[in-house]
Amino acid sequence: MEKTMVKKRSVLTPTLIAIVGFLTVCPIVMLVFGSFSTGLGAFGEFTLDKYILGYTDPELGGIIVNTIIFVLGSSMVATGLALFLAYLNTRTDIPFKFLFRIISIIPMMIPHILFSVSWVLLLNPSNGLINLFLRQIPGFEDLAINIYSLPGMILVEGLLDLPIAYLILAPAMASFDIALEESSKVCGGTTLRTLFRVTLPVLRPAILAAFILSLVRSLASFAVPSVIGMPGRIYVLATHIYQSIATGFAADFGKAAAIGMSVLATSITLIYIYRYLTSEGEKYVTISSRGYRPTVIELKGAKYPLFSVVGILSMILIVLPVLVLFYTSLVPYSMIPSAKAFSMMSWKHWIEVVNDPISLLSLKNSVFLGVVGATLGVMLSVFVAYVIVKIRSHASGILESLSFLSFSFPGIVIGVGFMWFFVRTPLYATIWALLIGYIATYLPYGVRPLASAFVQVHSHLEESSQVCGAGSFTTMRRIVIPLLIPGIVSGWILMATMFVRELTLSVVLSRPGTEVLAVQIFRFAEDGLWGQLSALGIMMIFISTALVLLATLVGMKFKPVEEGE
Amino acid sequence: MEIKIKNLSKYYYSGGKTIKALDNVSLSIPANRIFTLLGPSGCGKTTLLRCIVGLEAPDTGEIEIGDDVVLSTEKNIFVPTENRGLGMVFQTYAIWPHMNVFNNVAYPLQTRKVPKDIIRSKVEKTLRFVQLEGFEDRPATKLSGGQQQRVALARALVAEPKVILFDEPLSNLDAKLREETRKDLRVFLTELQITAIYVTHDRIEALSLSDIVAVMNKGQIVETGEPRNIYLNANHRFVADFIGRTNLIEATVTSQEESVTTVDCAIGRLACRKRADIKPGDRVTLCLRPEFIRLKRGNASEAQNVFNGQIKSLVFIGEAFEGEITIHESQLFIKTEPHSDIEVGDRANFTVDPDHCLLVTR
Repeated sequence: MEKTMVKKRSVLTPTLIAIVGFLTVCPIVMLVFGSFSTGLGAFGEFTLDKYILGYTDPELGGIIVNTIIFVLGSSMVATGLALFLAYLNTRTDIPFKFLFRIISIIPMMIPHILFSVSWVLLLNPSNGLINLFLRQIPGFEDLAINIYSLPGMILVEGLLDLPIAYLILAPAMASFDIALEESSKVCGGTTLRTLFRVTLPVLRPAILAAFILSLVRSLASFAVPSVIGMPGRIYVLATHIYQSIATGFAADFGKAAAIGMSVLATSITLIYIYRYLTSEGEKYVTISSRGYRPTVIELKGAKYPLFSVVGILSMILIVLPVLVLFYTSLVPYSMIPSAKAFSMMSWKHWIEVVNDPISLLSLKNSVFLGVVGATLGVMLSVFVAYVIVKIRSHASGILESLSFLSFSFPGIVIGVGFMWFFVRTPLYATIWALLIGYIATYLPYGVRPLASAFVQVHSHLEESSQVCGAGSFTTMRRIVIPLLIPGIVSGWILMATMFVRELTLSVVLSRPGTEVLAVQIFRFAEDGLWGQLSALGIMMIFISTALVLLATLVGMKFKPVEEGE
Repeated sequence: MEIKIKNLSKYYYSGGKTIKALDNVSLSIPANRIFTLLGPSGCGKTTLLRCIVGLEAPDTGEIEIGDDVVLSTEKNIFVPTENRGLGMVFQTYAIWPHMNVFNNVAYPLQTRKVPKDIIRSKVEKTLRFVQLEGFEDRPATKLSGGQQQRVALARALVAEPKVILFDEPLSNLDAKLREETRKDLRVFLTELQITAIYVTHDRIEALSLSDIVAVMNKGQIVETGEPRNIYLNANHRFVADFIGRTNLIEATVTSQEESVTTVDCAIGRLACRKRADIKPGDRVTLCLRPEFIRLKRGNASEAQNVFNGQIKSLVFIGEAFEGEITIHESQLFIKTEPHSDIEVGDRANFTVDPDHCLLVTR
């Protein structure tokens, strides 16, 4: 019996290494080979031309400068805001703390491209709603706040990366050992001095981790640079790569691969620094096992002013984009809300979208990718997480590194890598190409919640079931699966919402017939069809929300708590 | 139920090296007694327990529980854990967080397909026994450490197994609770007339709880015996050292007399408890426990087993003074009653009864 178990395991790990290895290494290898080839059709014919072409481009210098400013700026905005929010939530008596949970989770359901579009609708220089509104004020008739600028991009990207930075910082702050702060106060430090001399330095690894993850995300970001940057002729590396593969007949995947190599290398380096920091971080953030509650700092007079800042932020992050999109989907053209505007409202744009075959196809494709992709992705994640957590061998370490690798994948670069691969297979231009690409890029989002679920299932819990007379099947059914359900549900939700809103990879891999929602919205934005875009966007948010609710309900139905007998 | 273990070995391979977790262990555990495996971490005690319960497959050996052979590598028998019908309390308690107290305790009966009404009455009875009446509907995660520990005990007992195993079940409780639970556990187990195998690294736990203690080291059982016997009459240096605070002094046997064995050591010549299996000239270790050293102030005239020295340190710990005395440049741990007027730096003498001077080997 024991022997057969060992045998099964020894097959499982190499199989998973092969699958995950294919998913993560294949696009990288293909990218490398592609960058040294003359063209998609001439794969493997060695040439350095693409590197010479790519890196002698006189525009490249400016693009790199833009990228650095954009990436650093938005990461600072994201980390700074996240730090502010996490501190208020975990350490002060600020009211309505549930808002913080909402801020950290809901924005994941609002696709980045729609968030970016809503800011364009508000702040574009010609007819942005805020600009139109402000121009009514005497003296401001010529006002044109321009979102199509680097500061605009930094602001929007910063807000988009805020939730992920918050999710890293809030738990670190919550588990902070209060004795460190108390001893600073005993030594005569004021609250503010304690904050800057003790609290923040001790949290440095967590802060750096949040900052680096924001760097990776903004480096990979395509929604903001394309929707906000490109109309203002501000290019960063992601949009620069996109340009070389999207400009009609002159698509150059070799040059895209050559430039993509630097982006990928930067991204992988950053992710390994992040990983180093999060493993080293345990040294700093001291979690004591005693059940203590950090003392709450009284904000006194600052309480409500600070709360209104949080309130405005959550408005900006959640309510505003949806509201702006919904409003735009109903009015015939851009106008500020007024009696006239309301009288002209109609479902015209919605009807156009429902009758547009490509929009319908993209809806169908995205729902398929969301449901089927997330299901397959979670199934793979269950096995990967099992091997990583429960079989602690050298091989499982390899698997962990491989599955972690895709955390660093900038969608557009990986898309180019996969393109070099799919072009040589029958999968090219099929929905399965997108599905494989999605799972490869978003695998960590499934593996992480499942790994933490497996960590919860201490081996003693299984063993004690066996001692109690249960065979392996009963142990699986009554102990292991019920304890994994929360991990499965949150993994599925994460993957499904990511897949429904996926833009960066799709923009490369999507071909006629395999349009997806985000790409269709991107096309609408390029054509300036804001009304239709908004209608389709609201549908997209609706689908994401429906999937989340569905998964939550299913999770509750199988809710593991057994009552009574 | 009696348990017989024959030639049990278990190897681990790590970094090209073979580690003998169990090195040819043979052991007989008598029925209805509390049997404790005591040893430092890594000595193989938990591995032995896990082999008995079937969570670990030994490389060689045989295990008999009652009349059933549950393991024999020679006859190729391996009865899986779930069919061995044992009860076990894990170090982490392994209370299932997704079930309430009732379902946690009822589980072993449910897996054995016991009718529902019988399950209910048995669970109630067991919960009453561990003093957790009325906790049936409580979620398992809403219990204190001590309560979880008792749920784990109830779960191990509910199916009335013939043998119950404990893997360091008290190590996660705080000191006071641990002491109380230890007493309760001894009462429970004695009342139940059940064979209990208990693994611990805590010598006080082992001494106060057990009927029989087996001291393990490096995958082997060094000595087995009743607690008092192990403490007072250990044969091995390792056991004497592990079972309690002691002075270990290298010594050479000088002569065997009628009622005592005489040795020479760093503090001088001593008459010790007679040990027949050694001869003059042998290197042995003298085991002198602090509580057997009778201390007096001032110097004494020379006599058998009387030594003069100087108090080096003294700490008041409540029920006693503990400290060190220097004799001929070597230090001995001492312990004396709390009313003592001896102070650090004083000259002092002590006497030891030859019967309290234990000679141990290796």
